[in-house]
Amino acid sequence: MQKRLLGLLCTFFLIFSCSMPVLAWNDMPLLVDDADLLTDSEESELLSRLEAVSESGQIDIVVVTIDSLSGEDAQDYADDFYDDNGYAKDGVLLLISISDSEWYLSTKGFGITAVTDAGREYIAEQILEELGDGAFFNAFMTYADLCDEFVQQARNGENNDVGNPLKAPFPLVRNLLISFGIGLVAALLMTGRMKGELKSINMQEKAADYVKKGSLKVTQSKELFLYTQTNRQEKTTSSGASDTHTSSSGQTHGGGGGKF
Amino acid sequence: MAVLQEYKCPCCSGAIAFDSKLQKMKCPYCDTEFEMETLVSYDKELKNEPEEDMSWESAGGAEWKDGETEGLRSYVCQSCGGEIVGDANIAATSCPFCDNPVVMMGQFAGKLKPDYVIPFKLDKEAAKEALKKHYAGKKLLPKAFKDENHIDEIQGIYVPFWIFDADADANIRYKTTRVRTWSDNNYDYTETKYYTVIRGGTLNFEGVPVDGSTKMDDGMMESLEPFHLSDAVDFQTAYLAGYLADKYDVDSEQSKERANKRIKKSTEEVFADTVQGYATVNAEATSIRLQNGKAKYVLYPVWLLNTTWNGQKYTFAMNGQTGKFVGDMPMDKGLYKKYLFGYTGMISAALFAITYLVWLL
Repeated sequence: MQKRLLGLLCTFFLIFSCSMPVLAWNDMPLLVDDADLLTDSEESELLSRLEAVSESGQIDIVVVTIDSLSGEDAQDYADDFYDDNGYAKDGVLLLISISDSEWYLSTKGFGITAVTDAGREYIAEQILEELGDGAFFNAFMTYADLCDEFVQQARNGENNDVGNPLKAPFPLVRNLLISFGIGLVAALLMTGRMKGELKSINMQEKAADYVKKGSLKVTQSKELFLYTQTNRQEKTTSSGASDTHTSSSGQTHGGGGGKF
Repeated sequence: MAVLQEYKCPCCSGAIAFDSKLQKMKCPYCDTEFEMETLVSYDKELKNEPEEDMSWESAGGAEWKDGETEGLRSYVCQSCGGEIVGDANIAATSCPFCDNPVVMMGQFAGKLKPDYVIPFKLDKEAAKEALKKHYAGKKLLPKAFKDENHIDEIQGIYVPFWIFDADADANIRYKTTRVRTWSDNNYDYTETKYYTVIRGGTLNFEGVPVDGSTKMDDGMMESLEPFHLSDAVDFQTAYLAGYLADKYDVDSEQSKERANKRIKKSTEEVFADTVQGYATVNAEATSIRLQNGKAKYVLYPVWLLNTTWNGQKYTFAMNGQTGKFVGDMPMDKGLYKKYLFGYTGMISAALFAITYLVWLL
């Protein structure tokens, strides 16, 4: 309860000190831009998007930016932030710590089901470059959109799992290039064969035609065992769902993160 | 003082030492362990390997007898210097090598008499038919080449070959592996067992041919192979009637190398085929020695067809015994581009459509 109060205080502090146009959703807004990475207009646009997505998915989609983790573990920070600030029991939280260049995505409740490990990797793939370039607004919008899609999929019983990844937009240029490349190689092979038909003059490398039939006599045939080499390789596990852990408040979270 | 015996590691070739703790030989470089007996027998095999020796015992060809060459004439082309042999009655027409019609007659003077000859079995008509077949079904052959193409002349010529008989005595050492894989809950294991495999034995070769004429393209002559020695008969000048004959200008000594190369390659292949049941087989040391090597001087029948197109000379040849027809043909570059772009477009479009369909599903 104390932490909740603290969260509320934080909110007020933010509202009044930074004069941010933040709308209270639950106790804490869905966008907490402590690192001040976004302009005012970007903030309001992102927030309304987060709210819309959260409402339609009945799940809290949160973005938190901070200046520094101050040595704290990103996972703990993100999990606690979610647990302690009165967000819904189902949710997804993206934490960005700007000085550590670290991101972490914490999931809870239905969020764990909706954004699986594979789904999280997919999100990271889509936004990491933008985060690295400092295009935070675009990255957060992409994150909101992808969360929306994942939640819809999960509500429909589909899973953005290993075997059933989210459908990416049709990679037109890439597919064109690959098709053309394979087409060219195949055409070269086919015309190469036609070209080869015109050539019939080749040196013979062997004298197999002139081996006297049945003249092969093997007089010595030995096998000598020398040594053994054994290599082992760790199996790559590709289990479908989400790995979970328990936060400091005893709640179950999924998630993962890294550097950008 | 004890003699120091040094062993080499079969795995990495480093000097290997006895590890008193393991009571085994252990390589200090790659950490592979060996039983003492393994190394002793491995070392013995290495020392047993004989030197390679591919020398021949006798050169072929016999001396001409008195009067035997009387009916023969040699013809020297003034254009290319090619020298051919024919009987005195032949109406020499054009040089088979350069297609030049000027041919001068001179007195035949040759060093060696051929041992055998394979007489022509197929005639000029067969050669013409074979040329038509040779053109058929070649999509990139310029149409004009097929249509305008008039064979200037078809000539039957006996081409001098050196043929080599030999028993190849081989000792080959292979390094082979057998691979076993298994898994437990956390790891995939790959176990590779290394072996030394020794093969020794003999393989007999009969009549490995080497083109004895510099005028004839070696590649073309080898493409005409095989000639079957079963049809060969003792040489008589009478067989030359109506045909031309070339004289050897590469002697058997110079031709050996080519024969050796082919014999070696085939011997290696045949013995490698006897090493079965391994994941990989690599020959580490090969020693092939030739015994009872004999070279013979023979004449093989070849039909030569010359034609000129767009200022370039094209030569075709047919094996006068088996009918095998060879000869490189020109390519229609425009047609080639058409096919290349056509196929590229078709295949690319089909593939692109498939990727789109897969994406839709």
